[in-house]
Amino acid sequence: MADTLTIKRTSGSASAFIPMDALRSSGPEYSKLVDISRCIGCKGCEVACKEWNELQSEPTANFGSYQSHKDLTPNTWLLMRFNEIEVGENLQWLIKKDACLHCEEPGCLYACPAPGAIVQYTNGIVDFNQENCIGCQYCVTGCPFDIPRYSARTKTVSKCNMCIDRVEAGLEPACVKTCPTNAISWGSKRDMLAKADKAVETLKQRGFQHATVYDPSGVGGTHMMYVVPHGDRLADYSLPTDPTASPAPLTALNFLKRIGAYLFGFSLVGALGHLLAFGQESPDEHE
Amino acid sequence: MSEPLLHRFNLLERIVHWVVGVTYVALLLTGLAFAYPPLFWLTAPLGGGAMARVLHPYIGALFGVAMLLMLVLWIRDMFLNRQDVQWMAAVRYYATHQRDKVPPAGKYNAGQKLFFWVQGVLAVVFVATGVMLWFPEQLAPARTLLSSARLLHYTATLGGGLFLVLHVYLGTVAYPGTARSMIDGKVTRQWARLHHPRWHAEQTGLTDT
Ligand code: HEM
Repeated sequence: MADTLTIKRTSGSASAFIPMDALRSSGPEYSKLVDISRCIGCKGCEVACKEWNELQSEPTANFGSYQSHKDLTPNTWLLMRFNEIEVGENLQWLIKKDACLHCEEPGCLYACPAPGAIVQYTNGIVDFNQENCIGCQYCVTGCPFDIPRYSARTKTVSKCNMCIDRVEAGLEPACVKTCPTNAISWGSKRDMLAKADKAVETLKQRGFQHATVYDPSGVGGTHMMYVVPHGDRLADYSLPTDPTASPAPLTALNFLKRIGAYLFGFSLVGALGHLLAFGQESPDEHE
Repeated sequence: MSEPLLHRFNLLERIVHWVVGVTYVALLLTGLAFAYPPLFWLTAPLGGGAMARVLHPYIGALFGVAMLLMLVLWIRDMFLNRQDVQWMAAVRYYATHQRDKVPPAGKYNAGQKLFFWVQGVLAVVFVATGVMLWFPEQLAPARTLLSSARLLHYTATLGGGLFLVLHVYLGTVAYPGTARSMIDGKVTRQWARLHHPRWHAEQTGLTDT
C-alpha cells in the first residue's frame, strides 16, 4: 500500500503555471470527505491533529462559544468552527472543519514566489516546506479559504499537511483515524465522491432538500470535500460560495510580468542597439 | 581644455543621489528575484530569499527617505515650462544626435525633468503598496487589496526599471563626461555647452552658439 510521493508542481517554477489538464496524473489521488451531518462536535480530530503533528497546545478562554479556539494559528492546523445559526425555528450549530482543503489548483502555490516552498504532489496533497519559505505571506493572500498562518517567531507560514508522513506510509490522516462517528473518511477521490453522493441522497430523503457536496470547481476541486446538509447556506458554514484559485489582480500581475520580462530584455538590447547605431555623443566632437 | 570646470552637483546632492541609486538597484534586483523564479538567485548577495525578504522593506524605507530629500533638493529646477514642451517635441532629434534641431536646455532638459517626476510619483506608489506588503498580517486576509498592492508594486517596478535603464545608459555610456557630474560634481564647459546651453550661459555669462 505504500505510496511514493511524486511531485506534481512546485511554487516558483514553470510548473506553477501549467494548466491543470496538462498535469492531470494517473496516480492515486486521495481525498478526505467530511460529512458534516455526522459530526457530533467532539473535537477529537483537533486533538489527534495536535498529537500526531506534535503541535504545541495553546491556552484558550471561554469566549461564549463551544469552539475550542477563536482561530487557526501556526500551531493549530485544524479548528472545528461552531457557527450558531437559526435554521427555521431552531438554533443550530453549523459545524465546519476548518483546515486546508488541498485544492487541485492551489491559490497559495500560484501566489508563492519562493522556489520549492509549496509543493503539490500527484496524490493531491499541497505541502509547505518551511525551509524554503521566505516569509512573504503571499500564500495567505493567495488562499481563497484563509487557511495559512504566519508565525512572526519563525517567519514562516504553516498549515495542515494532510499528515503527509502517514499517507506516504499508506495510513489515513490522524483526524480520519480518530473520528468516532466516521464523519471524516479517506480514500481515492473517486470513491469519496461516490460516497458523498450517497450521503447527499440520504440527507435529501431525510428532508434536507438543499444538501450538497462541497468540491468547488473554481479551485479545480479539493482534496478535502464536505457533505453540507444546508447547501443553500454555505456562507453560514464559513464556506466561500465561489472560491477562485487566482484573484483578478494576481491574474493581471502574472500577465503583466510576462510582458515586463520582454520589455526589460528589450530595453537592454535597445540601449545597446542605440549605442551601435548612433555611438556616443561626446562634447569634443562638437568643438 | 584648460578652461575651469563648472560645478554641477554639491556633495550633499551627490550623496543623496547615490543613496537613492544604490538602494534602488538593490530593491530592483531583489524585487525581480521575487517576481521571476529563474532570477531567485539574485537574493544570494543579501543572504538568500528569507533574508532578502526581511531586508527589502528596510532598504525601501531608506530609499523613501532619500527620495524625499532628493525632492526637496531638486524640485525648484524641475518645473516644466514652455521650452520643455518644445524640447519634448524635438526629442527624436535629441535621440538621433541631431543637436542643431534641439531647443537649448537649461540645467535639466525636459526628459530629465520628466524622469524626476515619474520616479517621484512611482516612489509614492512603491512606499504605499510596500508598507501593505511589509505587514500583510495586519490586513490579511484582504485578498483583493493585497493582490492589488502586488500588482501596483510590480507595475511601478516595471515603469521605474525601464526608465532607470534609460537613465543609466544616458548618464554613463551615451554621453561621455556626464557620469563625472555625479562623482566629483564637476563638468567641462564643452559638456555644458553641448547638453545644457542655457545653463552654461547662466554659469559663465557667455551666450554661445
Ligand atoms: C544606479 C545607477 C544610476 C546612475 C549611474 C545614475 C547616474 C546619474 C547621473 C550621471 C546624473 C547626472 C545627470 C546630469 O548631470 O545631468 C544623474 C542625475 C539624476 N539621477 Fe541618477 N543615476 C542612477 C540611479 C538613479 C535613480 C535610481 C534615480 C531615482 C529613482 C535617479 C535619479 C536621478 C535624478 C532625478 C537626476 C537628475 C535629473 C536627471 O539627470 O535625470 N538616479 N544620475
